[in-house]
Amino acid sequence: MTTYEKFLPEDIPAWQMPFWKSLEAHAVAVQRCTECGTFRYVPKELCPSCQAVGADWVPVAGEGTIYTYTVVRRGPTSAFQADTPYVIAHVTMSEGFRMVGQLLDVDPADVSIGAAVRVRYLDVTDEWTLLAFEPA
Amino acid sequence: MSQRNRQAAIAGVHLTEQGDLTDRIQPEVWWEAVAGACADAGVEVGDIDGLVGEAPEGAGIRAFLPGAALGYDTLGKPLRFHATTAMGAAAAAANVHLAAYAVSSGLADVVVVATAAAGQAAGFASANRDDAVKTMAKLSGPYEYIYGTTRVSDYAVLAMRHMHEFGTTPAQLAEIAVAQRAGAVLHPLSVYGGRGALTVDDVLSSRMIADPLHLLDCCAINQGGGAVVVTSLDRARDSNHPPIQMLGYGEGHSHIDVNSSPDLATFPAAKLAADTAFDMAKVARTDIDVAGIADHFTINVVFGLESAGFCAVGEGGSFVESGALRLNGSLPTNTAGGFLSFSHAGSCGLFTLIELVEQLRGDAGGRQVRAAELAYLSGVGGAMQNNFSAIFGRA
Repeated sequence: MTTYEKFLPEDIPAWQMPFWKSLEAHAVAVQRCTECGTFRYVPKELCPSCQAVGADWVPVAGEGTIYTYTVVRRGPTSAFQADTPYVIAHVTMSEGFRMVGQLLDVDPADVSIGAAVRVRYLDVTDEWTLLAFEPA
Repeated sequence: MSQRNRQAAIAGVHLTEQGDLTDRIQPEVWWEAVAGACADAGVEVGDIDGLVGEAPEGAGIRAFLPGAALGYDTLGKPLRFHATTAMGAAAAAANVHLAAYAVSSGLADVVVVATAAAGQAAGFASANRDDAVKTMAKLSGPYEYIYGTTRVSDYAVLAMRHMHEFGTTPAQLAEIAVAQRAGAVLHPLSVYGGRGALTVDDVLSSRMIADPLHLLDCCAINQGGGAVVVTSLDRARDSNHPPIQMLGYGEGHSHIDVNSSPDLATFPAAKLAADTAFDMAKVARTDIDVAGIADHFTINVVFGLESAGFCAVGEGGSFVESGALRLNGSLPTNTAGGFLSFSHAGSCGLFTLIELVEQLRGDAGGRQVRAAELAYLSGVGGAMQNNFSAIFGRA
């Protein structure tokens, strides 16, 4: 594996690691409130609906539709710039919450709001698997 | 003796040079701004007894305790008051509200609010675009920055959604940059005024940074400083300028995680801020003569106009297309050029406020809006994450 020079997650607290561990296993586990069933993404200590602390990490379908997107043509670092243009999509998942990720294998000109996408996994280093999306 | 329940007013303002200040140190620029605002207010720097927001920059405990840092170390005497809001780039302008509170409650008599970026600073305050862009990209946290998001892309996704829902066009956004540049051309301190007027085609043909935002839809990245002095209305009447008062103020704090915001094209927290400010000031939207609206990107102005109720939600694009924001329009906005063309340095919302003060004083020269009596200001921290609104008028 060549050196990965783009940003990796930093300062992830231990309690958020179940999400990252799920990606490593090529699945997506998201917090779901034990009290009211509300999903929490990105991980949160308190439920935004009922402020309960308790949450289970539950697998989600990994499917959704594009809520909004952009095509990045000026990246934050030279490593990202080498990948431009790339698509950042905000996806409404079938469970109702939104997730952000890159949308791969698509011509930026063909991306549209409302299009169906599904999760994909990028094993970028021995330690980290990142979430991405591809057209469904 | 402390006096409670007295009225406060902005008595002095000052802007330093804007641009590349790498050959100067930040505390020197900060002090130039503060001393200039004191001179403008007709008060002695020795009269400063309150600070709201940032002090001259420093490391370690000095960075975390700005009130203490301005005491014996800087002014040679203890300070009576310090407070600050936490609203990112909007903090300094929002802080004027706390300065007015300190004066009206008798906690201090002469309160300064200042911002400055200069020197060989790294990160946000850097004059180096690559360094600033990289640092700002990480503001969003690891659940976004790992994908290669930038501050531009953080707003581009909002713009894309607004276009999808309401049919807002790139040409409408471009008109915002064009209108503001016209003001910057008339302001000797603006960073881009010297480049001359813009056309809509200039904006649309500038390179795309993150669709749908072009280079000229984005703010400048530069250094500079500015300061405001707030004191009692009685004392402000002794200065050579009409005192400017904050007639209404409101805040709306929305979200940290972009996924938490239920909608990314309309922003209830920004509306909350505006409604609170208008209710407090007891004035109508149509009473406002001149506006200052945070404009890190052109789309921000659309959000600001719609949230404030200057036009209906979704109609911001056609509102600006009508020429409303121009100096002779129905709502001249960011008349010095805003972050897009005047300056984007430090907590630069303060510069937007200073322009409104100059407009209300009648001191805006070639940019002067006729009969400017009431001004509206709004600011944004993060990507529509914190919002404040304020209304100003002559005492």
